[in-house]
Amino acid sequence: MQSDAAKMLTERDHVIAAQKGSESAFAELVRLHHRRAYAVARAIVISHEDAEDAVQEGFLHAYRALDRFRSDQPFGAWLNRIVANAALDLVRRRKVRDADELPETVALPFRDPGEADELRRRLGDALTHLTDRQRSVIVLHDVEGYTHGEIGSMLGIPEGTARSDLHHARAALRRLLKDIRSNS
Amino acid sequence: MSDHLKLHTEGDDAEVTRGLRKLYAAPEGDSYWRGLEARILARLTSAPSIGWWDELDNWMRPALAAAAVVLLAAGVAMFRAYQVEQDTTYEAMLTPTTLPVETAVRPVLLEQRDATFRYLMTSR
Repeated sequence: MQSDAAKMLTERDHVIAAQKGSESAFAELVRLHHRRAYAVARAIVISHEDAEDAVQEGFLHAYRALDRFRSDQPFGAWLNRIVANAALDLVRRRKVRDADELPETVALPFRDPGEADELRRRLGDALTHLTDRQRSVIVLHDVEGYTHGEIGSMLGIPEGTARSDLHHARAALRRLLKDIRSNS
Repeated sequence: MSDHLKLHTEGDDAEVTRGLRKLYAAPEGDSYWRGLEARILARLTSAPSIGWWDELDNWMRPALAAAAVVLLAAGVAMFRAYQVEQDTTYEAMLTPTTLPVETAVRPVLLEQRDATFRYLMTSR
């Protein structure tokens, strides 16, 4: 296994090569970061398909803005911010589109008819009661393990706001899932 | 917050967190990730590159805005200059002249008087 320093050096080398126009170096960066980028996008958007779109869009933006990236900075954090922005943009566009559609056509995004796990189904429904930002913050923190500061940086909000969103999201989920947990 | 309540809350949150992790579990299997990687790279190669015309296009909007501001400023300046000119002309027309009428006609009278004087002197 590569040490962190060696990994960082390799990544930096790839970044510098990609900035000089090497497509294979950028492909290597994609290979190194696409799973994390997917996780970031998935925390923000509603569906798996939207997460894939946001990841592809994010990498495209990063590729085009590569000459503006300072190679002494961590590439992953920079990329995650771009992917998060692409995901937020997608959520905004979906909202505008959904607002134009009939209410019947707006599906509950987390509902899976074949899902037997009651908590999981109810959790999916409960998440729809959170704001987009609260949902993103709780998933990025509790599922992906990002710190408040990292989340704030990705979503373009102060660290304190991320902390407050997490608190309110947890409280809301506790309240919404109270009956299910009292039965278990 | 009592310890009991804190522990109870932490337990609840842990349960919710487990549920969230199941709900947001990333797809498994290397084939999925290789497929996504391939789609990302395909998107990069199929997307139109940003050429100088795109850069120009990016500058077009601010350039048009700047041109509009300049035109507006020039229009305002020209209008003000015209208005000042109009006001000056109008005021000049309304303002009575401070010079006496005599001053205005005196040169003519002087000329006549000189001519009469010359006539009298020469006719003797």
